[in-house]
Amino acid sequence: MAMGGTTEMTIGLAHYLTVSAILLVLGIFGIFLNRKNVIVILMSVELILLSVNLNFVAFSSWLNDLNGQVFAMFVLTVAAAEAAIGLAIVVIYFRNRGSIEVEDISTLKG
Amino acid sequence: MSWTLALPELVLACSGLVLLLAGVIPKQETFFPITMGAIGALLVTAVLVLGQGEGTALGGHYVADAFSGFMKILALGAAALGLLLSIDFNEKEGLGRFEFPVLVLFASLGAMVMISANDLMALYLGLELLSLPLYVIAAFNRDNARSSEAGLKYFVLGALASGLLLYGTTLVYGFAGTTNFDRLADAFSAAQGVSAGVIVGVVFVIAGLAFKVSAVPFHMWTPDVYEGAPTPVTAYFASAPKVAAIALLTRVLLGPFGDLAAQWQQVILLISFGSMILGSFAAIGQINLKRLMAYSSIGHVGYALMGLAVGSDTGLRGLLFYMAIYVFMNVGAFAVLVAMRRQGRAVEQVEDLAGLARTDLGMALWMAAFMFSMAGIPPLAGFFSKLYVFLAAVQGGFWTLAVVGVLTSVVSAYYYLRVVKVMFFDQPAGALDRAPASLTIVMAGTGLFTLLFGLFPAPLLAAAQAAAAALLG
Amino acid sequence: MTQPLLADYFPILVFLVIAGGIAAAMVGGSLLVARQKPNPEKLSAYECGFEPFDDTRRRFDVRFYLVAILFIIFDLEVAFLFPWAVSLGGIGWFGFLSMVAFLGVLTVGFVYEWRKGALDWE
Repeated sequence: MAMGGTTEMTIGLAHYLTVSAILLVLGIFGIFLNRKNVIVILMSVELILLSVNLNFVAFSSWLNDLNGQVFAMFVLTVAAAEAAIGLAIVVIYFRNRGSIEVEDISTLKG
Repeated sequence: MSWTLALPELVLACSGLVLLLAGVIPKQETFFPITMGAIGALLVTAVLVLGQGEGTALGGHYVADAFSGFMKILALGAAALGLLLSIDFNEKEGLGRFEFPVLVLFASLGAMVMISANDLMALYLGLELLSLPLYVIAAFNRDNARSSEAGLKYFVLGALASGLLLYGTTLVYGFAGTTNFDRLADAFSAAQGVSAGVIVGVVFVIAGLAFKVSAVPFHMWTPDVYEGAPTPVTAYFASAPKVAAIALLTRVLLGPFGDLAAQWQQVILLISFGSMILGSFAAIGQINLKRLMAYSSIGHVGYALMGLAVGSDTGLRGLLFYMAIYVFMNVGAFAVLVAMRRQGRAVEQVEDLAGLARTDLGMALWMAAFMFSMAGIPPLAGFFSKLYVFLAAVQGGFWTLAVVGVLTSVVSAYYYLRVVKVMFFDQPAGALDRAPASLTIVMAGTGLFTLLFGLFPAPLLAAAQAAAAALLG
Repeated sequence: MTQPLLADYFPILVFLVIAGGIAAAMVGGSLLVARQKPNPEKLSAYECGFEPFDDTRRRFDVRFYLVAILFIIFDLEVAFLFPWAVSLGGIGWFGFLSMVAFLGVLTVGFVYEWRKGALDWE
């Protein structure tokens, strides 16, 4: 924890929440506005999970409660598994179509 | 440590690991024995669930009650039926790999963890344990461009949804100070006003779960994924994960957030309206049966959520009852879809059913029963399920909900009956291949349930009543 | 202490200096002490399979992806092993056996990828 009150520059809960909200919005926009590459979408998903973890750790420290940090560990692990599965699916998709441009992912519609 | 309460989950997890080893170590292909083993493991687990006690375990993360028992039996039954559907299909499509039943087993374990979750952490881990295998089996036909595209779409949107859900849980955790459902409920019942952070968090959580049940406005992925994924996988997608996600949504909203009902009720009402309307109108123009079933499933989720929007004892009973009947008629209809093959190739358009009554009367009759039941025509099972949720809505004073429900049922009857018309009155487009025995058994079993349910509704009603009482307690 | 916040970060500066010092000592030491007999084979890229100076947008082998995917899964178990190791005294036999069960699950995954041939390069 930063020592509140003794310095000019106190980094408090609100700062962490702001950063994480910005990361969340960046991640969501990265998914929806991205027209180029699926890998960028995977990175955006990781960005969202990063914002979540930052929130958990900040709250955990603010509440003086370890639960949030434990939760963050689980999120890390699941994020790794998710990234592995995502990459694997992207690879088989590339094998079939020869491209991972977002605009090409539109065979299924109607 | 009272971890023995979680015995069904432990048994299912261990049998999943054993089956994985048993599948990979022998040199030859082991698809059939492993599938049989997985079905056996699911049934054993279901028996253990029936004999399970009540209470919380694992440090308050896990809860077992009549509600969890009811939903788990449904999810396990749907998984076992889904595996039965997959045996013949996967072998004919060259997908006979033993990983498939193992993945379904792990997904079912995730569904059970979700249903029994009593903590935001268990909620998230169960949800991911369910979702990750589903991403893989959506893309299971990995040499097929449509299957891999379905997997990719499901993965991207699923990851986004779980991200949103997680962001919501962080806000709930931060502003309420705990992740345990019981303590959250205490915190909210004691507080005079709830902070905006918690409300935003709850909305995010609802959005994430609405994605998993494919309710409007989070349904965009459903038709594409249902169409692209292999048909038995679609059958599984439309049943077990929905049961688990609906169970979780119900437990979360009525348990820890029960005192915030005024805040979330409007959201659920809108989701229910939207799903019913979209499910009935968007399906009208569909020529692909799997897409049609996708929109149909969106509509059914809308009807089921009606019970949750009402929030009363009878509403919850209606919801549970609806899900139970939906699972059986849905698996039955998908058994027909899986059986649709012409000269060895799988077909999935509505007109491929043309004249089925003349070439295979048995299958046509079962399909007609499922379609009539989904349309809600008495005296089939689907009629009773709709009756109970509409009744609950009327009793709760939600007249518009009930009226919209009845009207959309009438609209949706159009496309269900169109399937029946194509089967019975159109010129045959060439005979379909004879359905294999495993599919005929599933069709007959679920078909008899759909037809004869009206005669013996009491046991299921009583079970749903007990489950509802356990949750509202 | 006019800047206590920066003072908090002083240990990190110390670490940076030590790390830089050790790195410089290693590289410099081997430059000074070892005999240098370069040939093209020795100067070529080491173990990663790429030319050291090349177009970065070149496609590379999909097998690298597989290795990365397998690595990340097993890499993360360490995230659980560390807190477990530090708190082992407090969590007793139940905690110990939980980790054994966790490692058992990982072993099953390892056996699977081994039998599937995911660890063979060819």
